[in-house]
Amino acid sequence: MRILVVEDDSLLAQGLTRVLARAGHAVDRAETGVQADRALRAASYDLVVLDIGLPDIDGFEVLRRLRLRHAAVNVLVLTARDAIEDRVHGLDLGADDYLTKPFSVTEFEARVRALLRRVSLPASAVSVGRLTVDVEAKRISINGTLIELTVREWALLELFMARPGRVLSKEQIAQQLADCDSQLTTNAVEVYVSRLRAKIEMAGVRIRTVRGFGYLWETTDG
Amino acid sequence: MASRVIRRSSIRRRLLLFLIPSFLLLAVGAAAVTYYVALRVATFAYDRSLLDPALDMAANVRMDADGPRLAMLQQAQEALLYDHEDTLVFQIRAPGGAVVAGDEDLNLPPNLAPGERSFFDSRYHGEPVRVAAVRSSSGLYVQVAETLHKRNRLIWEILAAGLLPALLIALATLALAWTGVARGIAPLAWIRTQLLGRTPHDLRPLDEHATPVEIAPAIEALNRLLAQLRESNEMQQRFLANAAHQLRTPLAGLQMHLELLLRRDLSPEVREEIAGMHVATVRAGHLANQLLALAKAEASMDDSGGLATVDLHGVADHAVQEWVQRAIARDIDLGFVLEHATVPGNAVLLGELLDNLLDNALRYTPPGGSVTVRCGSELGYPYLSVEDNGPGIPESAHGRVFERFYRIQGTPGDGAGLGLAIVKEVALRHRGVLRIESPNGNDQGRGTRIVIRFPAAAPEIT
Repeated sequence: MRILVVEDDSLLAQGLTRVLARAGHAVDRAETGVQADRALRAASYDLVVLDIGLPDIDGFEVLRRLRLRHAAVNVLVLTARDAIEDRVHGLDLGADDYLTKPFSVTEFEARVRALLRRVSLPASAVSVGRLTVDVEAKRISINGTLIELTVREWALLELFMARPGRVLSKEQIAQQLADCDSQLTTNAVEVYVSRLRAKIEMAGVRIRTVRGFGYLWETTDG
Repeated sequence: MASRVIRRSSIRRRLLLFLIPSFLLLAVGAAAVTYYVALRVATFAYDRSLLDPALDMAANVRMDADGPRLAMLQQAQEALLYDHEDTLVFQIRAPGGAVVAGDEDLNLPPNLAPGERSFFDSRYHGEPVRVAAVRSSSGLYVQVAETLHKRNRLIWEILAAGLLPALLIALATLALAWTGVARGIAPLAWIRTQLLGRTPHDLRPLDEHATPVEIAPAIEALNRLLAQLRESNEMQQRFLANAAHQLRTPLAGLQMHLELLLRRDLSPEVREEIAGMHVATVRAGHLANQLLALAKAEASMDDSGGLATVDLHGVADHAVQEWVQRAIARDIDLGFVLEHATVPGNAVLLGELLDNLLDNALRYTPPGGSVTVRCGSELGYPYLSVEDNGPGIPESAHGRVFERFYRIQGTPGDGAGLGLAIVKEVALRHRGVLRIESPNGNDQGRGTRIVIRFPAAAPEIT
């Protein structure tokens, strides 16, 4: 995958580049907003790691110009923890995720992986732990053993896989799983989750309960 | 306090000190003028009636062989000179000065031409009298003198009629001034309540238009001072925010490189040292973030997004993603009991508040413990609380844990002691009441529950 790192602090930029390069990505670097803007016009990237505080035009402006061109590239914004406005602002302008400084390498890697997975999700088969998911056939198997899922269980699985590492609230799940003829109660959500949990437990995939709130899809692949 | 008695100036006293002498001076002037006018009126009116008997007498003087003689009966004379109040006496002198008739004790009249008449003041038997004198064509002087009783009475009546109402008006004015001062300074009481009701951070200007024009200059000066304070506060906060902000990027770089280093094959000794550096770097980053949050919380609300209706449930929702991961990493069961409850406020700051409560709870609760976030309404008061079953905060430290950089002696962990100070600052901004309690259903008094109760209605927030 091709990734552009936009960061004016050379120490941080160097670190980010090294991490991404080690994961096998091709990395370009920009130190100013203008450089970033130019690079984004010149080439197509799978992901932009974008700092907001840049010496000339800020990251928001780079992002705004990028989205004005209807570019579909994933953007991970590096921002300040104090600024939820920054986050909202960034997400409004079309950032896909944000990370607050300072952050750990592990966290950064996880976010990058999640964003790049979006790019590659339409693949026919996805592997999560010992679980193999056949997206087209809507079937899963563990160590080659096929496992039947109901429509609702499959929808639930898709929901979790689209947001790895994110906590989903019961209300959120109920909303997502409801269709036009049926409303889903949070009690029903609990039932579906426990059924799905029982079916995939053996694959080393865990659906953790967040007490009083919802569920977290945990995978052993980090 | 008793040793030094300072006599404070009083608007009332100053006003009265000015008014009373002024009124006295005015009263003396008015009395003088009235007296003068009354004197003239009395003199003019009674002089005419005094002239009549003198002219009558002059007309009744006959010239006999042995000189002039008053040809008037005793009764007629008495009738002519009768007055129920004053004593009247007369005197007729020959042109040479010899008394022809009447009272001899009257003084000589002034020189008059024949046919001329005159009024003057004189004395008779030691008593002041008014005299009317005429000189007949034959050269005789006729004088009628009258004591001043009715004249004086008239003067006093006029004086009283003029001065008494004035005196009453003066007294009424003083009384009105006394109470008027109280009414006049009522706007000052308004200003007082305005200022007393404020939080220390509320440096908004006072409304100049709500006060009388006389006080407006003082309000203006006060507002100018408030503006300067605000500006210097903002400068300080901007500086702190900038400094903290600038610190984070190099810290992020440092942390990243240390983590990359830790992934390498290192000897245990080197690993341990680098791990120590890593812990310190993470701590510094955390501190920079907290300083920034504190600066944000201190900055006025209108700078950081202003007031909105914030759902506490939503604030908790935002915190879930970040904190669930950390709780899992520390093997702590993080749970939620959330109900919708709205407060007018700032979502960013309320998020910081919850972040710091959670940070604190996760930091001091041992692995295997549990932390619960609650929000909702209690008797109409929205509340947000975080409770844990950790070691708890000793009673003796309750008063101090919300101070900046305060850390309970002997507690583990790497907190800087800013978390709860941020919580306090944000709670204060939202007029919330901050309390440390024992967790619900925990009879041992173990653990900590920190709860913020917000005002019931939607009050003005600063």
